Amino acid sequence: MLTAILEQSSLFLQQLVNGVTLGSIYALVAVGYTMVYGVIQLINFAHGEIYMLGAFISFSLLTGLFGVGLPFGLAVVIAVLVCALSGVLLDIVAYRPLRRAPRLAALITAIGMSIFLQNLALLIWGGQIKSFPRSVIPTFFFEPALEFGEIVISWLQVIILLTAIFLMLALQLVVHYTKIGRAMRAIAQDRTAASLMGVNVDRVVSYTFALGSGLGGVAGILVGLYYNAVYPTMGYTAGIKAFAAAVLGGIGSIPGAILGGGILGLAEVFGGGYISSSYSNGIAYAVMILVILVKPTGLFGRRLHDKA
Amino acid sequence: MMRLLLSILAGFFMISFVLVSAIQAETIKIPVASPFTGPLASFGEGVKNGALLKADEVNAGGGINGQPIEIVLADELCDPKEAAAVATRFASDPKVAVVVGHLCSSATLAALPIYREAGLPAITPASTNPEIGKSSPYYFRNVYKDDFQGDFLARYAKKKRNFKKIAIFYEVNDYAMGLKDAFVKQAEKLGLRIIGAEAYMAETTDFKAQLTKFKMMRPDAIFIPGYAPQAVLLISQARSLGMKCAFFGGDGLDDAIMLKNPDAEGLFVTTPFLVDRGGAIVKEFVERYRQKFTIEPNWFAANTYDAVGLAVAAITAAGLDREKVRAYLASISSIEKAYQGVTGATYFDENGDCLKAAFVKVIKNGQWVSAEEQLK
Repeated sequence: MLTAILEQSSLFLQQLVNGVTLGSIYALVAVGYTMVYGVIQLINFAHGEIYMLGAFISFSLLTGLFGVGLPFGLAVVIAVLVCALSGVLLDIVAYRPLRRAPRLAALITAIGMSIFLQNLALLIWGGQIKSFPRSVIPTFFFEPALEFGEIVISWLQVIILLTAIFLMLALQLVVHYTKIGRAMRAIAQDRTAASLMGVNVDRVVSYTFALGSGLGGVAGILVGLYYNAVYPTMGYTAGIKAFAAAVLGGIGSIPGAILGGGILGLAEVFGGGYISSSYSNGIAYAVMILVILVKPTGLFGRRLHDKA
Repeated sequence: MMRLLLSILAGFFMISFVLVSAIQAETIKIPVASPFTGPLASFGEGVKNGALLKADEVNAGGGINGQPIEIVLADELCDPKEAAAVATRFASDPKVAVVVGHLCSSATLAALPIYREAGLPAITPASTNPEIGKSSPYYFRNVYKDDFQGDFLARYAKKKRNFKKIAIFYEVNDYAMGLKDAFVKQAEKLGLRIIGAEAYMAETTDFKAQLTKFKMMRPDAIFIPGYAPQAVLLISQARSLGMKCAFFGGDGLDDAIMLKNPDAEGLFVTTPFLVDRGGAIVKEFVERYRQKFTIEPNWFAANTYDAVGLAVAAITAAGLDREKVRAYLASISSIEKAYQGVTGATYFDENGDCLKAAFVKVIKNGQWVSAEEQLK
């Protein structure tokens, strides 16, 4: 009897750890959606592809596609910088020309960019799933950080969680206590007024894309390591999930995206673990739909007032 | 001047067009359909190489009655929709008398009614779903069926490995579900305990929730009817959760991607073809394959090599008439009339299915080797 209870509670705890890990990854991606939406009211469907690029670029840097394999830390930093830059470039090339066009035009462009980037990756890296060779990753990643009876928490899970928490706190500081953060919030409130007050809108939007894409890139690298699988379509499902997380938390709200990501990750893992794996995605989305039904603006969403 | 230039150019195009079509008219087209890109591209690689090697050999020996054969590769990504589109293209091409394909059972089942309506015979080198042969008199296969493969795996797991508790992860597709059902049926007869069967979709990457659940039930082994790209993730995730159990699966896990992952050490799978089984004909095939492609042939290569061989034999005997080709293939109905290839003797039963041996191979030190114990 006692062992059964112990087993059940350790099962629960292990699932909790799995869920929080998954949730923190969703949160990192969801923040990118929500930030861009906050400043230019665009759902950047190509965001999932930036996440995929992060995984692929770090893979290439580590395995020495460009000559020699770089040390792990350096490869990660470069990959994240490239992602941030790709985000900025994406905005300049695809979205900036459409800033004054109807919102639908930019949305369709975003979907187009998503397909374009997916196929670009297919062309460069091929369709097969790539795995990081063990030799290029610090070995302790795969060792258990904590082993308690049946519960195993790997260092990688700890690192994912800590990275996510650290980046989220840093992001909050940037948004609330820096000049550029203030500019972002100003544009989110009213773009026209902000630009009249001397805020350089294009520059702030670029910063927003850089920050969001950098975080997306970090998430891509972490996921690539966590599942040890990198492939061109990995951004698609993750992107949709993260988008759902952003909507669940209230799109435009950064704390909302973090909470939304966490809820979605937990719903998916507990749904898969306790009910049936066939329904794990369905359960995650059902939770989102329920929240939206009760609170249409999402958990932390504000009602958008019409801007003429 | 301009006019002269244009007419010269037009004349040039016309001549080259006539020349090209004259050359094309002389080759005999044998379409080979399989995923050549996408996640299962490495399976398709074997299919492509096997087909090209056979075509090279046939053409070096003078082709079919002096006419060279041409392998027409069609990429269908293992997607039933794409497979149906590809099948329609072949069916409407009067120069096509027989198709070699498809690889995935779901793709084959989607193409099957199209070939049946068009009266176009097809030989699949790799689709193992039991429904295929029964559903069309025009479909043949030179690979075993999943009811045999699943049954075989259950007996192997019980008799050679002495497993008692088994957990199952299966992909939602025609191949994996057929294999799972056959395995469970025999496992229950043998008294193997199935502690749970979890489904997953092809795009699944996270198995940790379900693995955690199984971990508490301490299975001796996890059976994965599915394909290698997902299975390799599943195995790594199980190890990272501290699971020590064994892993095994069907021929869908037979992929080089497994060898790159140290967690897959000890994985065993069924396969229709082993490099170190069989006589001189197999050795020669392996040798030539290595020479041409600088890699080891996998079973997809061997089976496709033989399937193209069967197609060539049929066209040689029956010409390019679809009905006659079908009749010829159907007439290969006993061991005496069997087609002798690198995967052994192939002959068809009344459904167009064939009976073939299954072998077990296992990953040792990062290499596929024949399992020490084979089930006779």
